[in-house]
Amino acid sequence: MSEEPRIGVFVCHCGLNIAGVIDVEELTEYARTLPNVVCAIRNRYTCADPGQEEIRKAIKEHKLNRVVVAACSPRMHEPTFRRCVAEAGLNPYLFEMANIREFSSWCHPSTPKEATEKAKDIVKMAVAKVRLFRPLKSMEVPVTNKALIIGGGIAGISTALDLADMGFKVYLVERSESIGGHMAQLDKTFPTLDCSICIEGPKMVDVSRHPNIEIISYANVLSVQGFVGNFRVKIRKNPRYIIAENCTGCGECRDVCPIEIPNEWDMNMGVRKAISVPFDQAVPLVYTINMDYCIECYKCVDACGARQAINFDQKPEEIELEVGTIVTATGFDIYVPDDNSLYGYGRYDNVITALELERLILAAGPTGGKVVRASDGKKPKVVIFIQCVGSRDVNKYEYCSGFCCMYSLKHSIQLKEKYKDAVEVYILYMDMRTHFKGYEEFYRRARELGVNFIRGRAVHILENPETKNLTVRAEDMALGEPIELEAELVVLATAAIPTKGTDEMARILSVTRGADGFFMESHPKLKPIDTAVDGVFLAGACQGLKDIPYSVSQGSGAASRAATILSKPTWKIEPIIAMVDPDKCRNTRVKCGICARKCPYGAIKAPEGEPAEVTTAMCHGCGTCVAECPSDAITQMHFTDAQIFAQIRAALEENPEDKILGFLCNWCSYAGADLAGTSRFEYPPNLRAVRVMCSGRVDRDFVMEALRLGAGMVLVAACHLPYDCHYISGNEAMKVRMEALARMLEKLGLSPERFRVEYVSAAEGVKFADLNKEMAEQMKSLGKGKIKAENEKLRPMLEKMLSRKKA
Amino acid sequence: MPMKLLKTETEKELVVKRILHTKNYSLTLDKTLCTGCEICKEICPKEAIEIKTFPKVAGEKLKHPIIDVDEQKCHFCGICSSLCPFGALKVRVDGEHVIPVVKTESFPELIREIDVDTAKCDVQCVECEKACPLELIKVSVRTPDGKEIMDTESIQDKEKLTVIVDVKKELCPCCRVCELKCPYDAIHVKKIFHGTIRINQEKCPSGCQDCLDVCPITGALYLSEDGKVYVNELYCIYCGVCKIVCPEEGALELQRTYIRHTPVHSGAWNKALEKLTSTKELTKELQTKGLTKVRESVGKRLGFGGS
Ligand SMILES: Cc1cc2nc3c(=O)[nH]c(=O)nc-3n(C[C@H](O)[C@H](O)[C@H](O)COP(=O)(O)OP(=O)(O)OC[C@H]3O[C@@H](n4cnc5c(N)ncnc54)[C@H](O)[C@@H]3O)c2cc1C
Ligand code: SF4
Ligand code: SF4
Repeated sequence: MSEEPRIGVFVCHCGLNIAGVIDVEELTEYARTLPNVVCAIRNRYTCADPGQEEIRKAIKEHKLNRVVVAACSPRMHEPTFRRCVAEAGLNPYLFEMANIREFSSWCHPSTPKEATEKAKDIVKMAVAKVRLFRPLKSMEVPVTNKALIIGGGIAGISTALDLADMGFKVYLVERSESIGGHMAQLDKTFPTLDCSICIEGPKMVDVSRHPNIEIISYANVLSVQGFVGNFRVKIRKNPRYIIAENCTGCGECRDVCPIEIPNEWDMNMGVRKAISVPFDQAVPLVYTINMDYCIECYKCVDACGARQAINFDQKPEEIELEVGTIVTATGFDIYVPDDNSLYGYGRYDNVITALELERLILAAGPTGGKVVRASDGKKPKVVIFIQCVGSRDVNKYEYCSGFCCMYSLKHSIQLKEKYKDAVEVYILYMDMRTHFKGYEEFYRRARELGVNFIRGRAVHILENPETKNLTVRAEDMALGEPIELEAELVVLATAAIPTKGTDEMARILSVTRGADGFFMESHPKLKPIDTAVDGVFLAGACQGLKDIPYSVSQGSGAASRAATILSKPTWKIEPIIAMVDPDKCRNTRVKCGICARKCPYGAIKAPEGEPAEVTTAMCHGCGTCVAECPSDAITQMHFTDAQIFAQIRAALEENPEDKILGFLCNWCSYAGADLAGTSRFEYPPNLRAVRVMCSGRVDRDFVMEALRLGAGMVLVAACHLPYDCHYISGNEAMKVRMEALARMLEKLGLSPERFRVEYVSAAEGVKFADLNKEMAEQMKSLGKGKIKAENEKLRPMLEKMLSRKKA
Repeated sequence: MPMKLLKTETEKELVVKRILHTKNYSLTLDKTLCTGCEICKEICPKEAIEIKTFPKVAGEKLKHPIIDVDEQKCHFCGICSSLCPFGALKVRVDGEHVIPVVKTESFPELIREIDVDTAKCDVQCVECEKACPLELIKVSVRTPDGKEIMDTESIQDKEKLTVIVDVKKELCPCCRVCELKCPYDAIHVKKIFHGTIRINQEKCPSGCQDCLDVCPITGALYLSEDGKVYVNELYCIYCGVCKIVCPEEGALELQRTYIRHTPVHSGAWNKALEKLTSTKELTKELQTKGLTKVRESVGKRLGFGGS
């Protein structure tokens, strides 16, 4: 290092968020005493303009060449402060954050002294690390200015049209025969009651006519490789047995086809032909033969005649696309409650789901718009809607599905307006959720039309075997007593759930999912459209349930997020990549190539007899290779061994036996810990956390060093196996490595509970807090004496093994 | 209401159903008519039909096999129903009896040609009624004013009486037993299925008469004095139930060569025909029809001929 580090530490009060618990004055004083710190300054809000200005000023005044901000999570404001120091002429990678809010003040509010001590360690660790930082240059990669949108519901349609209008080439991949999604299944839409397909249909047609949009329907995304600006996507087009270019959509084949099949689009309530389109407005208007049902009579071939659009020999076709960004808009499915014996769905003919009612009430539906019972084809005189079937149910789906209150109101209004006094309507609900514009007014309209609202949960439905009428037993919360209602038709507002294949899609895209199973956004408030993967965005119900206006807005939002990348010729990616020191690499001497085998991205080549080499544009910076390399020949920029060792040593300088040294992966566990903080889950303050991008980076040496220094416990926390890892399989490599290490340490006399590998997702704040409580508890019951004794026993062996690491 | 796929079975009937909110489909097997001959199983395009055979009980006649239908696989196309020689299967849509594949001319119907010239009948003759192995014929005698007469002996003016021979045609497999038994040459039947059947006596174990036990047509197979079963091709309808139960590989050979059916243009039929007869017979039929296009596509699939 050419120049002596001159470090400035900026302690943020965050109003009272930090200063309310931590003694910020003491902390600032303490920071001043740390090596190479030339100034330490407090600020009410460091991220606000005056706070940033102070940093810039101090850099000039004190000739700072390193900056530490002790404030919130780097997942929140690292980019902000990097920009700030860059504006003052500093290399942005000479900056480090000390997360004293999510990791201290927010999770230890009732022990301010300990919280302050922990904050001191956190700052000390940051200072120790920042001293060793080197200036880095971010890398630029070229951007392919085309977008892929997965899912052609209203959200995906909105994204596609916006991006195409901006002039970008868009591929819209839809797995069904037609785009349109759920909106194309609906009759009318709340709160204005306009006809759904009448407003969506023209948009669907716009998509098909847009010169910049290519619809790839009846297709599945098989794999995605590459990185922001440069994704390579494999897609399988499934055979329709129709040559799309030749099909005119006339439907003559359908008329002659003998085979009627249940129409999934109609929730299997009506039928379509083995050769058909799911609904008349389908886009693209290309027929499909369902081979599961077709008997190959070839009547359709005759009917199609000279157009020759039918080809029974069609095979699945694989294509490859290159795109710069990907927007996922895969929507939702509804929960089909045939496992719910209380409500008798599937057993009682006259219990249906709301989506089924939607098809019944639709003029183009299987009954021509007549709401009739399956048991006798008669119009029901009393209809009861039951809300929250599966939703808001801790035994099923804990969350609120968001739009069910509104659609049940819609259905009840439609019934009342259609059949007037000939139908009596009841809604059994837990809470009526009618926020957003025009929704509360819609609720009033239903009341005025005479819909009966009963607050309470239905507990049981019984069928009269003769009349097929239904007795609904419920708890009336207003009266506080059980009631019984007799219905001719019961409609269940069933939960909306992640669409089939969401898990697979998450794996293909390396995007994480929340506890509810929907895709996880990068930040719940400030980055609701981004995912943790650069260049991959979310739109519509796949990110969390939302109605049409909200899905459309998010679709447009995703278009603009995607355009921030597509509109640039190149994109900067973080230079936190791995580099091989060819002199140290042993592949020149022996056949090694471990790094090449372990890299989840195939970014390393290790030809026999030559040193391994990293293809920088392909390296995602997980650091797995670094931890795996047996001769320490690989370095990860910004997360070097020396830097992490410095953090470990700083953390364990005092009272190491009382501390849990934790290695947390950035995307899941660190985010989970952040969530524990933001949720204000309190847990004991023993943890000292080292953030790594991926748990795959956690070297055996880190664990051994922590124990050598006397750590009470060591924790390695990662994304859940098998698919949650942000770097495909870094956690897998870590697991193998750590299991072997644990066996060895145990043999050397370490109590097994002192070294733990855990899996915490970004959504598991509770789990993270509980884990800390449990570990602190175990540490207490082991006792300091025992821990010290074990450490004494371990130390000689560990020292021997770490001798090459002596700094 | 979600779609329901149901199966119910009684002693006399097997019914599979697909019930949708707005439409329902059913396939009914009349077990009293089914001989378990496998024709439907062979041609079902969705492999929804299986044959259940019964084990032999010592000292008893072997029970003929029976079919089972998989309610998950049946799509109610009606192919089985249109080709069952015994009329044992019926498809109903919303309660009404239809054969969807026949309606759209996607599949042929069997041609049952049974001509009775009652002018030739003797008023006292009931030979055909007695002869019909499936009890499908009812002979009655009426006066000019339509009154049915039970006791023809007592009637003087026999010339004025008319004989009515009522054949349940839709259940008739056209075995021709009645024709051959008719003393007055009054009834003419054309076979539906043509073919060959042969018992290799050297392979046929003596003492076994399983084929004879299950054959629905009395006289098509008979036990000879040497204790072995022989064939009377005149009566055989080539339904093939004998072949299913025959325990000896190669002892019984049955080959259909031709099926009398209404004319159609249909890939499904070509496939069925091929399965019931042979590829050779199929090409023969295609050639006579001159269906080049269909022939090409079949050829492509089967890897022969074509363009
Ligand atoms: C009964 C009912 C009534 C409703 N009524 C209203 C209403 O009146 N007003 C209102 O505002 N909202 C209403 N909603 C909500 C509305 O349906 C949703 O807001 C909207 O459909 C969300 O759009 P989306 O594009 O996000 O998802 P979806 O409509 O679910 O579309 C997703 C699309 O992605 C496709 N897809 C899924 N997975 C893949 C994959 N792996 N690869 C490729 N393609 C894939 C799907 O086939 C589908 O086409 C109602 C919902 C229900 C259940
Ligand atoms: S070949 Fe298949 S799709 Fe075409 S008409 Fe016949 S059953 Fe229908
Ligand atoms: S293992 Fe991770 S850090 Fe190493 S080269 Fe591959 S992507 Fe980069």
